[in-house]
Amino acid sequence: MLSALLAGLAIGALYAATALAYNVMFSTSKVLSVTTGHLSMLGGVFGAWLMADKGLPIPLAVVLSGVIGAAFGWATELIAIRRVLARSDEHLWLLSTLALATMVQQAVGLWWGTEPKPFPRLIAQDFSAGMADQKYWLPVIVALLLALGLELFYRRTLYGKLFVAMSEDTFAARARGIPTDLLRSLSYALAGAMGALAGFAAGQLTFAYFALGLTLTLNGFVALAVGGLGSNLGALVGGLALGVLSAIATYTLGGEYQQTISVGLLMLVLLAKPEGLFGSAKTRPV
Amino acid sequence: MRLLSRRRIVAFLTAAVCVTGSGWTNAADGTIRLGWLSSLTGPLSSAAVAENQGVQFAVEEINKAGGIGGRQIELITYDTQGDPTKAVNFAQRLAFVDKVHFVIGPVNSGESLATVPIVSKAGIPNLVIGTIDELVDAKKYARAFRAINTNRQWIEAANDYVLKILRKSKIAIIGDTSGYGTSSAKTATQMLESAGVKPVYSVLIDPNKTDLTDEMNKAKAAGAEVLMPWSAATGLLARLLNTRGDMGWNVPIVGHSALMAPAIRKLLNKPEYWANAVAAGYVSTTYGVDGKLPANTKALMERIRPKLGGAEIDFMFWWVALGYDTVKIVEHAVKTAGGTDAAAIQKALENTKALKGSYASYSWSVEDRNGFPDHDIVMNQANSFKDGAYRAAK
Repeated sequence: MLSALLAGLAIGALYAATALAYNVMFSTSKVLSVTTGHLSMLGGVFGAWLMADKGLPIPLAVVLSGVIGAAFGWATELIAIRRVLARSDEHLWLLSTLALATMVQQAVGLWWGTEPKPFPRLIAQDFSAGMADQKYWLPVIVALLLALGLELFYRRTLYGKLFVAMSEDTFAARARGIPTDLLRSLSYALAGAMGALAGFAAGQLTFAYFALGLTLTLNGFVALAVGGLGSNLGALVGGLALGVLSAIATYTLGGEYQQTISVGLLMLVLLAKPEGLFGSAKTRPV
Repeated sequence: MRLLSRRRIVAFLTAAVCVTGSGWTNAADGTIRLGWLSSLTGPLSSAAVAENQGVQFAVEEINKAGGIGGRQIELITYDTQGDPTKAVNFAQRLAFVDKVHFVIGPVNSGESLATVPIVSKAGIPNLVIGTIDELVDAKKYARAFRAINTNRQWIEAANDYVLKILRKSKIAIIGDTSGYGTSSAKTATQMLESAGVKPVYSVLIDPNKTDLTDEMNKAKAAGAEVLMPWSAATGLLARLLNTRGDMGWNVPIVGHSALMAPAIRKLLNKPEYWANAVAAGYVSTTYGVDGKLPANTKALMERIRPKLGGAEIDFMFWWVALGYDTVKIVEHAVKTAGGTDAAAIQKALENTKALKGSYASYSWSVEDRNGFPDHDIVMNQANSFKDGAYRAAK
């Protein structure tokens, strides 16, 4: 049971990191991009490719994976978000980001192959380490660092404060001379780097697998909705809770109930507390 | 004047062909159109890509040799991407737009479940290469003939190996939560129970589940002496082997052929974790005691090797052999039927007995549309892969 909880925490940390990436992009665009899970997929696949196939040292592979994730994030904003938001208030971004996510997954499948591939060991450690194995604690540490770093970024840096200003009121921010288009692009690049780093950290757990993206997109969204849209603490708690609950459900009921639990949890929270555990309820001005 | 002479010559030759080749009633019909539904991209593409090599090679070989009864084969390939919806659309296109004489595939059982009724309703002979039992039925789908083994044949071979060779009866059944994994695990359990053995532990696992420690601990606690995984997900199977190795539990693993897929080797924490694992394979791709492959397999392998890059083959060769054989079955059927009339093709295949191929020897009858014989299945050592084939399990 303890190992089930540990594995649940580890995969929950990846959901949490995905939820954090959702938050960063949502803060500047009010868009929940379907490509969010694919950022981690790219981190895992490119991390494995850079280290195993190209023989690059781990630190360089980490940096390059982050850069690739950031580039994909930036491209997402440019291709699937900017023009859609400029032309319509409807939720057409759902279709444009879904299309881009599908294209990226297909492209990676064609290039990388459709079978999972190994992700190299990052720290010298025997495989008999059991519950102390790095594949369990690396994703948790990285998710915690990402959440902490994001909070510091929002509170201590000018760009972070500009992100917050945009999340409060984009039109007011633009009226104050804030370059909102540029900030939105930056937020997508930041989310891309975060997602890719999380995927890199969890690579040993998930393998480098092209079809990981949509699973993370779904579970990251559930984590976000449970924790509360816009709350980084909520994303962290929601992700870890989802991972642990899924693990317990699988342990006690069997694997066929794993997806039911995540979607069931989402419905439960949406019915009982629509704003999520740490989200702020919206008041409608009368 | 010259033109007129040429016309006369052509007319004469045509008449001669009609008279001397009276058995080839459709000789003037032109090409034999062969539809090939293959998931060349998408999550299930590995087998399909290899099968495609075999299909293309057989078509090329036959056409170079003058075709079948003088008629060239026109191969029409559609990539279904492993998606049943796309497979249905392409099956309809093959039947009603391309008007093919035969359909091979689709590759995956899920797709075939959707397409077999369509192709059957159109009255087109269909060579089925999916393993789930429901795909063929002599009454419902009279022109659907299976060239691959059934899932039950794999399971039966594995069960026999565990019960009769290993002499173990405390068995843990592990399936995945996909449709295939769920139904295979259920069938395996039923077949064991009918042999008087009740599994000590059964579990279904999400194919992408990242950690199997608990399932393995539960199997161990239940007293399992053998693990039998029925899943085609290489990631899941590799995690199973890794968990067993990390636990230091040397329990035998006996199951699905994906257990010996070369892709698994790279996913293992240590190469030795692949030992003591046995999977259902084929006589055609199993080295004999003399270290040689059966003559038909070897001959095909050497002919096709230059097309595959000339080096050692790094994927399961039986997929290539199966693809190759499907086209050779078409050749046999057209030759026997004397043309491409669908009813005559059906009759020709129904009367086929022990047609020797590179993958298996095929027999169908009026009542039975499963052409793959039980004796062409053998259990292989999972870690014995070499040049596309395996060693037999001891």
